Amino acid sequence: MFLSKRHFLQLAGLSIANRVLPAWCRPASKRNDQARKVIIVTFGGGVRYAETFTPEGARNIPRLMEMRPNGHFFKTCTNAGVLSHFNSTASILTGNWQRVDDFGFQPPSGPTIFEQYRKQTGAGPMDAWAIATNKSFASMGASGSRDFGVPFGANVVLPKQLLLEAVQEVVKKNPKEGVASRDNVMRQLEGILNEGYEGVGWTIFKAGKQLDQHVRDTLTRGLVEYIHGPESPSSGDELTFFITREVMREFAPRVMLVNFWDMDVAHWGSYSLYLQAITKTDRLTGMLWDEVQSNPSYKDKTTVLVLPELGRDGDQNASNGFLNHRSGDASCRNMWMLAMGAGVKRGETDRPVHHVDVSATAAELLGVKATEMAGRAIPELLS
Amino acid sequence: MSSNQPKVSPALQRLIDKGLFDRLPVSFAAFFFDQAKDWELLFPAERSYYERLFTLLDRSEPQLVADLFVPMRLAEQKMGVNEKTWPKGVFTLDQVDFLNRNAHYADWRKAVAGVFARIDPMLDEEVARSGRPRFVLVTAPDDIPVGPDRMWTRIEKLGKRVSADPSELKQLQSLPAQYAAVNGQSTYDVWVIDAGDLAPVPGGVALSYERLGAYRTRLMEQVNKLVNAEAIRGPRQLGERLKQLKLRVEEGAIAADPILSEFARSILLAGNGTLLINNTFVEWAAIQAIRRARPSVAVIAFGIRNKVKPFSSLLIYANQETTTPIPTQMDTLGTYVDLEVFYQYIWQEFEKYAEYRRNTVYVFAAAGMDEMFLIAPPDFVRAESLKASHIKGWLGL
Repeated sequence: MFLSKRHFLQLAGLSIANRVLPAWCRPASKRNDQARKVIIVTFGGGVRYAETFTPEGARNIPRLMEMRPNGHFFKTCTNAGVLSHFNSTASILTGNWQRVDDFGFQPPSGPTIFEQYRKQTGAGPMDAWAIATNKSFASMGASGSRDFGVPFGANVVLPKQLLLEAVQEVVKKNPKEGVASRDNVMRQLEGILNEGYEGVGWTIFKAGKQLDQHVRDTLTRGLVEYIHGPESPSSGDELTFFITREVMREFAPRVMLVNFWDMDVAHWGSYSLYLQAITKTDRLTGMLWDEVQSNPSYKDKTTVLVLPELGRDGDQNASNGFLNHRSGDASCRNMWMLAMGAGVKRGETDRPVHHVDVSATAAELLGVKATEMAGRAIPELLS
Repeated sequence: MSSNQPKVSPALQRLIDKGLFDRLPVSFAAFFFDQAKDWELLFPAERSYYERLFTLLDRSEPQLVADLFVPMRLAEQKMGVNEKTWPKGVFTLDQVDFLNRNAHYADWRKAVAGVFARIDPMLDEEVARSGRPRFVLVTAPDDIPVGPDRMWTRIEKLGKRVSADPSELKQLQSLPAQYAAVNGQSTYDVWVIDAGDLAPVPGGVALSYERLGAYRTRLMEQVNKLVNAEAIRGPRQLGERLKQLKLRVEEGAIAADPILSEFARSILLAGNGTLLINNTFVEWAAIQAIRRARPSVAVIAFGIRNKVKPFSSLLIYANQETTTPIPTQMDTLGTYVDLEVFYQYIWQEFEKYAEYRRNTVYVFAAAGMDEMFLIAPPDFVRAESLKASHIKGWLGL
């Protein structure tokens, strides 16, 4: 990887900073490194079966196809709730079908897995993270439930919103160069992290007006990897990955949501861009699995659940096919789930499972009692 | 008359006055009022549909109509539809939201589908009785990097590849003007929807992505400003503001026609990439024109989509040309993949409607290719090579 002097110094500085951190913000999970961890990865934005686990779709997801024989594949994982992004992901996280405002103006209506886990175990604020994309997901980390809520919620980081803000400013300030200069983008990203992270919808515990130094350094390292990485990435999902990886390395949280989003480009009406986004998400999911395998805080103790947030309308549908997800047809509702890692029996299951079963399963894996959940734990994942 | 009641045709007004809509389920009646509230901005085909639909309900046995709507009334009951959730005649985003978030939404959708499954065949019969030959030409530019054997694979079972002299394409493209001059039933009976800037069609509708460039740029700037500078919170507020962003005369000749002007606005602000991607504009405009205007002759001309530049995909409403000095590049392979799907969607959309079934000749062509793809009724001429004269004969020109 090419490193400029500035970035070298920056990384060196981060490395030193890590050694003088206050105790509270050292990785919580290094204190309970043997405990089971759960990472929920959503193909946010929605993807159809047709473009994934079908003979024609398999070419778009080479990493998942490679991972499938080593995990447990649920052939039918159903979203029986509202087919909007916020409600779909909130249903996965709460174990109840959510019917709240679609645009994130209301938090989930029952406690999320983050709150259940933190309240019952007394886990610290760095032990639960939601790394998502859509700005409406800002309130995804905690419900409005009186007995739970924000004090027990997850840190919520929305990398794409940070990037979006930065790119907008770069274009405004440098109309000639635009975003062609990655240094410009990087400077702007850092500036927002330093001064205005709340403005992009983030919730970071232990932070006030300004981000805690350790958190900021960790996120900055993700940004550096992203901007100056070997692949010249350019989308929000790649930043989501790099930030997720840094959070895993620094804080090793026990429960995480990673919500990729690029494939929602389908709304633009380009099938080829939609397919490219699926392949990118597949690659990033594979890289995340590689990190789980190579990171001692996660290896052999982490269950990774990969599933689409929702599908998209079928080609025969009146609602313009892959562009939308509003018809409620089978193509919108019936997806799959791939489970990998600790406690997962290899194999496949025909029996339908549901999105609301994910949190109930995660609760069991984390050793907490699933209260107020309509979903049921999935036995195949509890060995 | 309630303030929620739209100004409609005299025929429909009579039905409203007779109380027909009071006998219908609240959500069904409200949906109609919403659709009809801008009656003067509806295409003739839409007005005709509503008149035929409600005339049919009016002249049917009241008990039959009541029975028809029983499942829908039951669904409404389960959903909690009442005067508070559904003020009479109102169908706003609040009602859409109410439906979408309701646990019984699937039941409601099923009930609505059931109603139309009973009504549509009767209305279709009327349409079929007055059927006439129709023609649809769907074209791609010559930069598509595949040959005729790969061009139309998703629809290959629906028709056949036929040889054609590449020069015939120009002849085919001239048919809309000829048809409009001789047979066009109204201005909205002939459409050319184009990613580039094909010549306008006298007596028909010409909707061009390129020619709407100034309007598109203004819309992007305005939406960007609304979303960012004015920090509009949600779709309701945004929707209200977007309604005010009308096409100006200097931005397009169709501004003179209120129906087409509103059509262009709604297409470009549909939130489906129509502002950004030429072929998405063409596809969505075609789908909406088919659904709403039911043209007899349509030319749907796709172009080459540009590659999405680094980072610029994030800036949905920014001008992609100015976000980076990186030169714009064509994405020919991506365009090919996109069009394969769009061919299918467009054919499907036409075939949903009785106007087109069994009396429409579809020609899919690409500039410079010596083959075209033909989907035609059995009584269309069978010839070794497809010529524009065959289509002229079919249309009676």
